[in-house]
Amino acid sequence: MFRVLLSLTAAALVFVAAWVVWDRARGPTATPIADFSAPFVFGRFSVPADNPLTQEAFALGRHLFYDPILSGNNTVSCASCHLQALAFTDGRAKSPALSGGVLEFSSMSLANLLWGQERFFWDGRATSLEEQALIPIQHPDEMDQDIDALMVELRASIKYRRMFRRAYGDVTAENTAKALATFMRMLISSDSKYDRYLRGKARLTAQEEHGRKLFMAHPDTKVSLRGGNCIDCHSQFLTSGFRDALDGFSNNGLDPDGTLPDGLMAVTGNSAHKGFFKVPTLRNIAVTAPYMHDGRFKTLEEVMDHYNDGIVVSDTLSPLILEADNAPDNGPDTIGLRMTPEEMAAIIAFLHTLTDEVFLTNPQLSNPFDGDT
Amino acid sequence: MRLSHVTLGISTAAILISAGWFTLRALPEKSTSITLTFHAEMGGAPLVYDQFVYDNPGGPGTFRVRDFRFYLSNLSVAKGAETYSEADSYHLLRFDNADRSHSITLTDVPLQSVETVGFLIGVDPEANSSIQPRGDLDPNSQMAWNWEVGYKFVVFEGALRIGETVSPVVYHVGFSENARQQSFAIPSDSQVDGDVQVDLTVDLAKLFNGATRIDMETLPSVKFDRTDAKDLADNYADMIAPKF
Repeated sequence: MFRVLLSLTAAALVFVAAWVVWDRARGPTATPIADFSAPFVFGRFSVPADNPLTQEAFALGRHLFYDPILSGNNTVSCASCHLQALAFTDGRAKSPALSGGVLEFSSMSLANLLWGQERFFWDGRATSLEEQALIPIQHPDEMDQDIDALMVELRASIKYRRMFRRAYGDVTAENTAKALATFMRMLISSDSKYDRYLRGKARLTAQEEHGRKLFMAHPDTKVSLRGGNCIDCHSQFLTSGFRDALDGFSNNGLDPDGTLPDGLMAVTGNSAHKGFFKVPTLRNIAVTAPYMHDGRFKTLEEVMDHYNDGIVVSDTLSPLILEADNAPDNGPDTIGLRMTPEEMAAIIAFLHTLTDEVFLTNPQLSNPFDGDT
Repeated sequence: MRLSHVTLGISTAAILISAGWFTLRALPEKSTSITLTFHAEMGGAPLVYDQFVYDNPGGPGTFRVRDFRFYLSNLSVAKGAETYSEADSYHLLRFDNADRSHSITLTDVPLQSVETVGFLIGVDPEANSSIQPRGDLDPNSQMAWNWEVGYKFVVFEGALRIGETVSPVVYHVGFSENARQQSFAIPSDSQVDGDVQVDLTVDLAKLFNGATRIDMETLPSVKFDRTDAKDLADNYADMIAPKF
């Protein structure tokens, strides 16, 4: 009897050992994300050939995104400043900096990053999501983590070793960036009322439809066309900035030349780009207050007031903003859209149709450390 | 014996057929590669951006160029009566690069040589009323206006300075009726061994000075007024020419 038991135990041990060896030796599983689809009106997108969208990469990226282990003091995660319920912003003008005070820019919404500009951050300093992902981790005022120290921490975790192995292979900084990029690419918001309207599944109210028309129109008093001029910077379906070259960056008249921040010029060195910032998506804009790169406007009404009669002139101000005016008696002292209160309210009503409750509550995008996953 | 004759016959036929197949297949199909390089100029010199170096063509002041781009579509090349048309032929030409040029290459054009090239400045009505992305047409791009109108065909943005006053100049020309067909004979010396290189100039000055001479002070903006748009379209119809 004892010999039988011993044999069985030995056999079991050999089996377990073999399984462990096999599990470690085999390559990444890399299951392509099967049911991936996006509205055709979003247009073309591309995923880096060396980082295809896989379930394993997404699962790893999601864990990393929500894990404070990514910060130097293990208290800050990506999700500290990018909350799903707020379309992955944090509701603050500027997030607190680790060394005290606040960060330079407002936390950006993360949605539909497969489309729109192929540069990231307000000043466009990263040219891929893989490059972007590691920058806040190492920024001394954001997550203040030494990347090599992070690799040591991640390698000490059986769970992360297994997740990296299945997604990519080794625990490396490059694979960390790839996984975070994959998770961010899958933050797709395409189920707002506007999306359902585009699919013919919902009707806009008269006010929302009025707002949509104003959103899409550059005003032209010569032909009595009234417009909110939004589409000159925010594309009609994505509502993000444009993808081509640097078309998705603009100076929208917030500051005079004397105090105009560098913006994109800090990256390109071209003085024609001074004060240019990334045009953000307007998806879920009703839940991403406060607004602008520095969060200076608390409400959508304040934003509309800015474009209506608060434009500040500077040398690189978009001529499309400078020139757009709904009032025919264009004097030199009136810079702005000069719309009626009803028109501004209509545009705001349309902006509310961009809120996507499915996206804001999708459990697959939520914190995997909360409850069962 | 008889069977082997049949076998031999079949084998011989098979060999002959396959030999013929491979021989014919190996015959070189005559094809041509053609590259069109468009050079943006202003009155004969390379285009300069962001500096007040140009005179208002029809009035006082100087102007600067911030943006200049346009759609070129329905590109075709021909030799005699034979024509080859590029599929999904929609090109956005922009010149904000170091050499102020934009190249389009057609490879494997099934013609022995190329004598003429033709294209539209603008977009054909069918594509202009569609939100389907194709070629460089992108309904989420800066060139999209809205579903009712279609695409901007030619965009010029800049500023006019008169004394100390700087004011914006914005010309967005669209509407399907403003697409303009152009065609040229290709210079005879531009073809070497099935490889055609053609240089063309895009003279932005022609946009402001043609059948209509533009005063940017009195016409700071062209968008949806159809008469203004037509005047600019008649001007830009002549802005591209082959370099000799």
